[in-house]
Amino acid sequence: MDDAATEPSMIDLQDVHLTYDGAREVLRGTSFSLRPGDFRFLTGPSGAGKTSLLKLIYAAHFATSGRVEVFGQDLSQTVASALPTLRRRIGVVFQEFRLLDHLTAFENVALPMRVMGQPQNSYRDDVIELLTWVGLGHRIDATPTVLSGGEKQRVALARALVAKPDLILADEPTGNVDPVMGEKIMRLLLELNRLGTAVIVATHDLNLVRGLKQPILRLKDGVTTLHGPMPAEADASAEATEGAGS
Amino acid sequence: MSSTSEAPSVRSGNAPILPENGISGFSLGVVIAVLAFLAGIALTAFFAVDSAVRGWSGELTGSITVQVRGMSAAEIDSSTASALAVLQETVGLSNVAVMPRGEAEALLEPWLGSGNLPADLPMPALVTADVTPELRAALDPLRARLAEDVPGASLNDHGAWTDQLVEAARRMRGLAFLAFCLITAAAASVIVFAARSGLAAHRNIIEVLHLVGATDSFIAGQIGRRYLLLGFAGGATGAFLAWVVTKVLAVVTTDAGGFLPAFSIDTSTALWMLVIPLLLGTLSTVSARIAVMRTLKTDKFV
Repeated sequence: MDDAATEPSMIDLQDVHLTYDGAREVLRGTSFSLRPGDFRFLTGPSGAGKTSLLKLIYAAHFATSGRVEVFGQDLSQTVASALPTLRRRIGVVFQEFRLLDHLTAFENVALPMRVMGQPQNSYRDDVIELLTWVGLGHRIDATPTVLSGGEKQRVALARALVAKPDLILADEPTGNVDPVMGEKIMRLLLELNRLGTAVIVATHDLNLVRGLKQPILRLKDGVTTLHGPMPAEADASAEATEGAGS
Repeated sequence: MSSTSEAPSVRSGNAPILPENGISGFSLGVVIAVLAFLAGIALTAFFAVDSAVRGWSGELTGSITVQVRGMSAAEIDSSTASALAVLQETVGLSNVAVMPRGEAEALLEPWLGSGNLPADLPMPALVTADVTPELRAALDPLRARLAEDVPGASLNDHGAWTDQLVEAARRMRGLAFLAFCLITAAAASVIVFAARSGLAAHRNIIEVLHLVGATDSFIAGQIGRRYLLLGFAGGATGAFLAWVVTKVLAVVTTDAGGFLPAFSIDTSTALWMLVIPLLLGTLSTVSARIAVMRTLKTDKFV
């Protein structure tokens, strides 16, 4: 990480405000940065604005004011035609999965490769390997309509990883899986981070955060603060209650 | 990540990224087919009228008729012989012949009925001849000579008929082509409307595609390809139906044996029918692509 500390930021937010419908202010002057190879847990209670913050990074929303810079590009100055290139460098695990119901698990995972114009034989094995790794090797031809919530989440995770992105944004990636699979997913994200991929995991599950020895970006009252890793013996329920009450 | 020791079988592959039944359904295919059918009929009408114009012009401008009138049959016979002599020595005329009295009487039957003409009625004689285009363009000297040498003779070059018929047919041909263009424009409008509606109906899919890095051009290409197939299939169906109907109409109009041109379809017209599916396929994909690109730029898609 020492080398990474000298590298320019991959993400740089400065005094970012985000207001919905001109009234509800979700972010109130948030600032933080992320360098290549960094890992952050983004915590805060439900409704704190974690998902909104991630949406600013993958350019699904735009800040009301302040500066959002991703991969060196100021998103307020970036033309729409440049966004696909930027988004291809980001793998997103959406909280609501956002799978296409008429496509199979294989086709959903392969979607980022198809939109990049890659021939199927160049990614076919990778897609199968990813689906097998997340425990869906037997559900490759199944459509999301017949998959459980946990299975959909794993397909969404595989889709986020298939294009080998520089940055992974995971919004509650373990919200619908059992603890064993949840731990497996977290270990995968940590392994990808160890190989150089920057990762932000948004979660309100502090039991997940505890003991993984990764920095925490806490979102409270529309402002983020950076904290060190949560000790394994910390009282996660107290932390969660504090966040929820703020 | 562990590698797989035995790769599972995969049946799925490059399924259409947009659902089959949403953006372009059966109903839209029917509409395209109907428009293609109408376009086919309009196209056939255009070529039928065009063919008729050529036929009429060729028949009427390629011949002249000299009518010889007189007070008695003897006078008519004498004048007819003079007219024949003048016409036969005129350069540019051929097949000069006097129409037999029987044929001349047959021309009057629609008005006077059969067998109602007295044998001694001094019926005008008709002398017909084929004329070259050069002579037809300068008939005045011949007309003057006939007036001078053959009393009671008048030359008819069918000019009045020809000009009126050709003008009327030219307008009909223009109307048929206008109808074809309007039908084609209607097809383009339907496609644009359907593409925009489909885009709105599949907004969630479009947003996912954007979020995984799809360009507007990629999305427009996916939708455009769908409409290419739809336009081609609908166009082919409609053109085939138009061809069948035209064949039936050709039989009906031929049996009628009327003055109007037969609603027939020759080889060249049949080949033009093949243009309809190609035209509608191309028009559909281009219209859809333009509509999608514009909508993605102006609407607030992620």
